[in-house]
Amino acid sequence: MIRHVFTGRFNRRSFIKASASLAGLAALNTSTSGLALAADKVVKIGFLAPLTGAVAAWGKPGLDGCQIWAERVNAAGGISIGGEGHKVEFVAYDNEYDPAKARTGATKLIREDGVKFIMMLGGDTWPGVEPVADRTGMLFSTLLPSDLSPDTNTLIAPAEVHPIYNVTGVEWLAENRPDLKTAVMCAQDDALGLPSVATYLAAFEAAGIEMLDEPLLFDPATTDFAPVVTRLLSKNPQIVCLDTCYSDYVHPIVEQLFQQGYKGQIISCTADFYDQMIAKTSKEFMEGFIFQFPDFDDPALNGHGVNFDDPNGFYAEYNKRHPGEWGAVSWEYASIMDLWKAAAEKAGSVEPDAVLNAMTGSGKGNHAFGEADWWGKDLFGIDNALVGDWPVVAIENGKARIKGFKSIPDWYGKHGELLKKHMAAYNQMWDQRT
Amino acid sequence: MFELLVQTGLNALYAASYLSLVAVGLVLIFGVMGIINFAHGELFMLGAYAVVAVYSDFQLPFVLAAAVGLVFVGCLGLVMEWSLFRPLKDNPLGGLVASIGFLMIAQALVSMGFGVRMEHVPPVTQEVIVFSDKIRLPVQRLTVIVASVVFLGLLWAFLKKTRFGWALRASAQDPEAAALQGISVRQTARIAMFIGAGLAGIAGALTAPLISVNPHMGHSVIVAAFIVIIVGGVGSLEGAVLASVVYAIVHTFVTTFADGVLADITGLLLMLLVLVIKPTGLFGTADRA
Repeated sequence: MIRHVFTGRFNRRSFIKASASLAGLAALNTSTSGLALAADKVVKIGFLAPLTGAVAAWGKPGLDGCQIWAERVNAAGGISIGGEGHKVEFVAYDNEYDPAKARTGATKLIREDGVKFIMMLGGDTWPGVEPVADRTGMLFSTLLPSDLSPDTNTLIAPAEVHPIYNVTGVEWLAENRPDLKTAVMCAQDDALGLPSVATYLAAFEAAGIEMLDEPLLFDPATTDFAPVVTRLLSKNPQIVCLDTCYSDYVHPIVEQLFQQGYKGQIISCTADFYDQMIAKTSKEFMEGFIFQFPDFDDPALNGHGVNFDDPNGFYAEYNKRHPGEWGAVSWEYASIMDLWKAAAEKAGSVEPDAVLNAMTGSGKGNHAFGEADWWGKDLFGIDNALVGDWPVVAIENGKARIKGFKSIPDWYGKHGELLKKHMAAYNQMWDQRT
Repeated sequence: MFELLVQTGLNALYAASYLSLVAVGLVLIFGVMGIINFAHGELFMLGAYAVVAVYSDFQLPFVLAAAVGLVFVGCLGLVMEWSLFRPLKDNPLGGLVASIGFLMIAQALVSMGFGVRMEHVPPVTQEVIVFSDKIRLPVQRLTVIVASVVFLGLLWAFLKKTRFGWALRASAQDPEAAALQGISVRQTARIAMFIGAGLAGIAGALTAPLISVNPHMGHSVIVAAFIVIIVGGVGSLEGAVLASVVYAIVHTFVTTFADGVLADITGLLLMLLVLVIKPTGLFGTADRA
């Protein structure tokens, strides 16, 4: 908002530098109750994601979450490598969701900044970075396992298995609302939208829910969604699925659904800033909206073997610093850092190959929502995706609440062939993409 | 099927209304100044951000916010005319490049001032006119349609009934002859720039509560506007309005009855078809003179 002008946030670089400096200062000012921090021991982690542009909602909030994570870890003595504390610093590069900029950024982070690990959103930017990863052997993470292929064994998807976890929302819906039997879907025609379309089609077929129409694809440059919604509603569906639409699309689509008189069930991968959607529609309209990303003040996160340190406290701190900015990725990059930290400490090294071996060697890992398996050979050609349980979230009385945790491997064990069939139909299998 | 056709027609009417405001402004600037203003989409975006600032952040009435959008962006047009286009008036390519520079600066400034995320603009009204279960027209969208008709009507009256309007048309037809008649070409350029930019600003302001407001929102609007002015005939205001209606109908109906990606392709094919059959566009002439 315009108030940013008065709070001195004049450019993203100064913002990032200031955040990193604050993190460093916070670390230096903390009591050394844990490990003694060696003043000259710093581990740099690269953050290569869109911080500006249309996809910034899945980059920038993640960096904000990482700064909180770094402060917490540094305050507790940093990362213990060979019994010595190492401070963590994040070095960010805005790739603007552009493959060429992502490639430049990856090169800079490795050569100039000396990072030991690079976190990415992935998607359309991964092809630009892949040659750098292959040449340098740098360890990269992506939020989108559809980037995985056997061509690059140093790319991992440890936080989320987009879009595979979307099956859990449909499965939960089929179990809890068996009266809903028909659906329609829309999605933007891009690397995020298409694999998600295939996944939802498989999930609906597995649940016995009939698709009334082919998924309606729209250009990512679309601004007026009235024609899209008119088409969706012309089929009289009981479920409208918003696939993995960006929040810039979800909001106007939901508003159009409301204005065009829809009264049925909505399911979506994300519902970032859902309070704004409620403001534009009504609490009643949004009741029961299903998606996949919880608020971290959810009481359900305090049980179920959740491997995220103090999720409620993290959420409170995040909202204190960035009010109204909490979104799907706010915790995800920080969650990846939990895994990386544990692996580095186990390996006694921050070098990419040592960390990767420590992380994936046993075939199991501590995912944010419980113990999980390194998996994916079937779909991605390589077991570099960490897969376990995933939460199903519904909006109840204006607030997101976890309705349950569903097992992705269990679903895949029963319906894997369906998923492969639909992925192949949309050319999303790894051997079709590479 | 009848209800679907009517609802799609209403959707097309809304799309045509705001698009014609943008396209007419673009045509006016080109007609009088000979400048292809690539930053016109960003003027639309700035009109939307005026609403974000005045209506969302300061919580002042929406009507006032829309007026600020019109005047602020119109004044920005004057600044562009003075700082970019006037020094480059004999260099059409220079004006084009300068406008591209301006659009990048505008996007960067908005990103720095407001952030990169889409803005939340509260609904002005949630009233919907319900003709039947499947035919609905939100009052907010009706407002855009009515306002567009009013502004285009005022522009038409201004151009046809006032001395300034005559001067503007004369400058567009033959700048040298107009200058010999005592018409200040510089003055008409200012008026054209204020009105052209202001129309883009008011279009952005009126649609702000209905679309995703973000620093890059001007991109798709400018693409559609360029298709429209090429189809209508570069330099023709009537052509811009008619082509906006045709383009909106084609795009909206193809989106609803086929898909959105095909709709974009169809829009480009429409432009190609018109260029093949009538290279000057529906109402255009061979030269800007």
